[in-house]
Amino acid sequence: MNEISLNHYLFVSCALFFIGVYGFLTRRNLITMLMAIELILNSININFIVFNKFLFPDKLDGLFFTIFIITIAAAEAAVAIAIIINLYRNYKTIDVEETNTMKF
Amino acid sequence: MKAIIAATIIGVIMMFASILSNNKSGIVSLATVLFFFLFGINIWEVYESINATGVAAPAYLNNMMSLDSFAIWFSMLMSGCALLYILLLGKEIAKVGKHVGEYFALIAFIMVGIYLLAGYSNMLMLFIGIEILSIPQYILAGSDKRNLKSTEASLKYFLMGSFSTGILLMGIAMLYGATGSFDIINFRMLQTDALNPLALSGILFLIIGLGFKVSAAPMHMWTPDVYDGSPTPFTAFMSTIVKAGVFVAFLRLFHASFGNLTNHWMMIVAVITATTLFIGNITAVFQQSVKRMLAYSSIAQAGFMLFAILSVNATAWQGIVIYAVAYSVATIGMFAVLIKLKDYTYDGFNGLAKKEPALAFFTTIFLMSLAGIPLTGGFMAKYFVLLAAVQQGQVMWLVIFALIMAAVSVYYYFKVIIAMYFKTGEAELNHEVTGYDKLMLGITCLLVILIGLMPQLLLNL
Amino acid sequence: MTMTNLVYLIPLFPLIGFLINGIGWRTIPKSVGGLIGSITVLASFVVSLGIFFEVKSTGASSTIVLFDFIQSGKLNIPFAFQVDSLSVTFLLIITGIGFLIHVYSTSYMHEDEGMVKYFAYLNLFIFSMLLLVLGANYLVMFIGWEGVGLCSYLLIGFWFKNRDYTNAAKKAFIMNRIGDLGFLIGMLLILFHFGTLSYQDFFGQLKSGATANPSMYNWIAICLFIGAMGKSAQIPLYTWLPDAMAGPTPVSALIHAATMVTAGIYMIARSSALYNLAPDALTFVAWIGCITALIAATIAIKQYDIKKVLAYSTVSQLGFMFMALGMGAYTTAVFHVMTHAFFKALLFLGSGSVIHAMGGEQDIRKMGGLGKKMKVTQITFLIGCLAIAGIPGFSGFFSKDEILAATFEHNKAIYALGLFGAMMTAFYMFRLYTLTFTGTFRGTHDQEHHLHESPAAMTFPLIILAILSVFGGYIGLPAVISETHTLRNFLSTSVSNIAHEEMAHNTEWMLLGISTAIAVVFSIIGVAVHRKPNFVANTGLSKVFENKWYVDELYDTIIVRPLNALSDMLDRFVEKMGIDGIVNGIGKLVRFGGDRVRLLQTGQVGFYIFVMVIGITILFALSFFWIR
Repeated sequence: MNEISLNHYLFVSCALFFIGVYGFLTRRNLITMLMAIELILNSININFIVFNKFLFPDKLDGLFFTIFIITIAAAEAAVAIAIIINLYRNYKTIDVEETNTMKF
Repeated sequence: MKAIIAATIIGVIMMFASILSNNKSGIVSLATVLFFFLFGINIWEVYESINATGVAAPAYLNNMMSLDSFAIWFSMLMSGCALLYILLLGKEIAKVGKHVGEYFALIAFIMVGIYLLAGYSNMLMLFIGIEILSIPQYILAGSDKRNLKSTEASLKYFLMGSFSTGILLMGIAMLYGATGSFDIINFRMLQTDALNPLALSGILFLIIGLGFKVSAAPMHMWTPDVYDGSPTPFTAFMSTIVKAGVFVAFLRLFHASFGNLTNHWMMIVAVITATTLFIGNITAVFQQSVKRMLAYSSIAQAGFMLFAILSVNATAWQGIVIYAVAYSVATIGMFAVLIKLKDYTYDGFNGLAKKEPALAFFTTIFLMSLAGIPLTGGFMAKYFVLLAAVQQGQVMWLVIFALIMAAVSVYYYFKVIIAMYFKTGEAELNHEVTGYDKLMLGITCLLVILIGLMPQLLLNL
Repeated sequence: MTMTNLVYLIPLFPLIGFLINGIGWRTIPKSVGGLIGSITVLASFVVSLGIFFEVKSTGASSTIVLFDFIQSGKLNIPFAFQVDSLSVTFLLIITGIGFLIHVYSTSYMHEDEGMVKYFAYLNLFIFSMLLLVLGANYLVMFIGWEGVGLCSYLLIGFWFKNRDYTNAAKKAFIMNRIGDLGFLIGMLLILFHFGTLSYQDFFGQLKSGATANPSMYNWIAICLFIGAMGKSAQIPLYTWLPDAMAGPTPVSALIHAATMVTAGIYMIARSSALYNLAPDALTFVAWIGCITALIAATIAIKQYDIKKVLAYSTVSQLGFMFMALGMGAYTTAVFHVMTHAFFKALLFLGSGSVIHAMGGEQDIRKMGGLGKKMKVTQITFLIGCLAIAGIPGFSGFFSKDEILAATFEHNKAIYALGLFGAMMTAFYMFRLYTLTFTGTFRGTHDQEHHLHESPAAMTFPLIILAILSVFGGYIGLPAVISETHTLRNFLSTSVSNIAHEEMAHNTEWMLLGISTAIAVVFSIIGVAVHRKPNFVANTGLSKVFENKWYVDELYDTIIVRPLNALSDMLDRFVEKMGIDGIVNGIGKLVRFGGDRVRLLQTGQVGFYIFVMVIGITILFALSFFWIR
């Protein structure tokens, strides 16, 4: 029990993933929800890297995939912030439950 | 590969055009010319691939793209649909907001995503393709910035879309853990009888992630709100060409990689298909707004396209091509008519046949195609995907269920026809229907019927 | 270059007519539109005639491939036409009678502003029907099948200003779609088990020996029959047909006589090779036909709308045809289709002529004595009645007798019920005739003044059809009279009846005698009872017959009252509450479900994601615990 194994990493990643999902489901503030999404993506990044390191150490595929995810997540976040700002201008709020003009 | 590069360049050109010029109609004309050019390049590529029979499909980007003849052919068809879309709705796109050039740029970038999805052979390309396709859509959905509904649509789409991206990535990560590779060919090595639970979870996550993008139930909840709230011209694009592109990605992955694992995932897809068909059709019955009805109908149509996914055979590939084109053409036409009207409810269509007989006639043809009445493209499309499922042979119950649901769909499509022909009223138009509009709609109509008569034309792989 | 190779011209002509009239319906003058519509159908008729003679002399059946339609792996479905004795027979009926109806319409619809549009629809209708009959595989047939449904929707709702008419159109379309569903499922089953949809391959496989298990044959046959039930208006999908009266009268004639409703008969006759292997399905067909024939006949007795009576009589006659099909006597059914096409077209066009003269009035209680003013209509209508009632010498007699003979051989119960149906047919047809054409006029003074014989364009088709109604039956004489049954011999190359033993001659004479006696007696009763109509109650029916009181009372107590009661009851319970209720109920259920499912869409993103997560969990649970 003196070495950190694959399973330990996976536990962390799994916990992060579900914390992210939980936050996404329960929070009403859009910025917090955005953070929850980042948590989910980061848990996946951890997955990729530990799989790469522990199971397939001869290539760096997983690592590169992670870099792509980080890049694209940044792009997504940029768009998200733009949308949230626009929403704030229109609704004067960033509470997700206020946005329900369309239903049924 | 030429088309991918060309579409990227076109996107950049349009962005700069947006900075340099404020002339809206000039930008629309430029976009039309450039999309013609793009279509031409696609045809050139098809021509090349036909001449290069017998040679292995060229691989690009370190074997991450494999542009086989199917990918090239499908890209060409989608470019054709996009061209038709811009010809029909270009002027309407210019009315959405100030930054006309940027809308076209985003559309060009989405086309890049579609080309990537048509020919990827590596999960990285799948991921990048999906993102290139999704992020511009978030922006397009919210492009009418002053409109609350548009902003809300954009927000909803973004939140749920990024969540589903997370799910998709989780699936890719698990498959990577199980196989150590991102190459879709290598997934074939997975054990058929005793499938690694990690791999199975990966497959399920992929089904859910991709199912979200094609709005399969229960991941469909975003669809009605997003399609309803987005500016109508962009709804037309998002619900047709984009969806078709994702479907091909779905099909490619599940046929090429998991084709021998059908006993593990087919029933799940079948359950999803049944739910999608049920929810899409049943809910569409009760809508008041035609635009929202079309959103639900796009869920229902996705249910039919899912048949191609679960029947792993050659007919499914033909089916998805025909379905993608027939559905896209008819729906784009339908939206082109809808956008002319002031009132999007069924009542807004009352008496349209009296006022604009040609418009009403074209609408009838589009709706008949969507409902799957013979001699229209929609019938052939449904026929092919169901045929694939019948040949596959394990899901006869689902085929019969789908037929019943197709019968239900007639109800809500024909409600529009009844409103146009059999009800009195003054259908109010936004503006005059010009001769150009009628010509383009007529050509669209002819295409719908042509596909219904000779679906073989679309299958010249 | 043989005639048969020109078969593509047959549907092409009406299509051209449709395109011309359909595109230019606002600019083309009415007379030109009518001319285009009629001439294109006449041209088709001429080509059909040429092909008919060729098929008759060679007896060959051939498949003409126009172009490749669907190619997918091993499956190859060409867009091909089947030319053989069966399809040619139907071609002649469709184009021949269709042409007469077109000619009639040129005059009937002259007042209508949408006349050219009407002709466009009519041509499209003929085109679809021709496609249905000519197709060499089930897919082409299905395309025509759907096309016919669509056109009927357009034509029934032609006068769309009236809300009821629109509803009738919708009902027709939806009922047909339910039937189509059965057809589609049957088609898919064939595809699944035999890997083909072409008649040639399918029947070839059937004949060469069982490739599927026999219970499958029954299921396929029943699925196809459900399609036929919708199109040919059998219980429980028949209610659209009487409602379909909403369209212009020539349309009713076209739908009832020559085209749409015969599609179901055609399909089953075409699939005779399949049905011969599916005895249970055949029994089902026979009983459905029998029950339909009876119920429709009882309802017809009580109707006062001239077109409604004819409509229910069509349903009833179709029931007879299905009885024949159920006995495996396919050629007999085709024979009845043909004679029925003659006399039913005649009756409908005759009623159109009456309605035309009455200025749109359809209630027979307000008619009477029209014969004096409209000699041609009266005589031709009488011929039609004689034919449908089965009076010897007229066409209906031969075909109906053949049906009854077939049922007598196979199923005595159905025979007895069929005889009962034939009896009622004679009764209500002569009730209709008597109330309309004899006696004194009961309408308003204005209407009486307006009465006139219809123009030549309307009476000419009546005369032609009357001649056909008389002599049409002579191509299928019963065995005791003539050794050769012309029609059966002709059809034998494409349809295979279930073999049966030759009937003894005296039995056959006896059957002929029974049906003749019933037809004659009940025709006379029908005339006698309604000579002096009294619509309040059945009293005062004196001075009608020699021993009038005896007949009146007997008739009243034994036949009229029970029949009236039965008719009322069926009309009220079976039709209004039962069948309509079920159909509307399903519609309501769908709407209710839609209303509930709709509420899931709350507009809250949080809830959407929650549903998605729940969905994901369920899918995972399914996949790990259920599928493994």
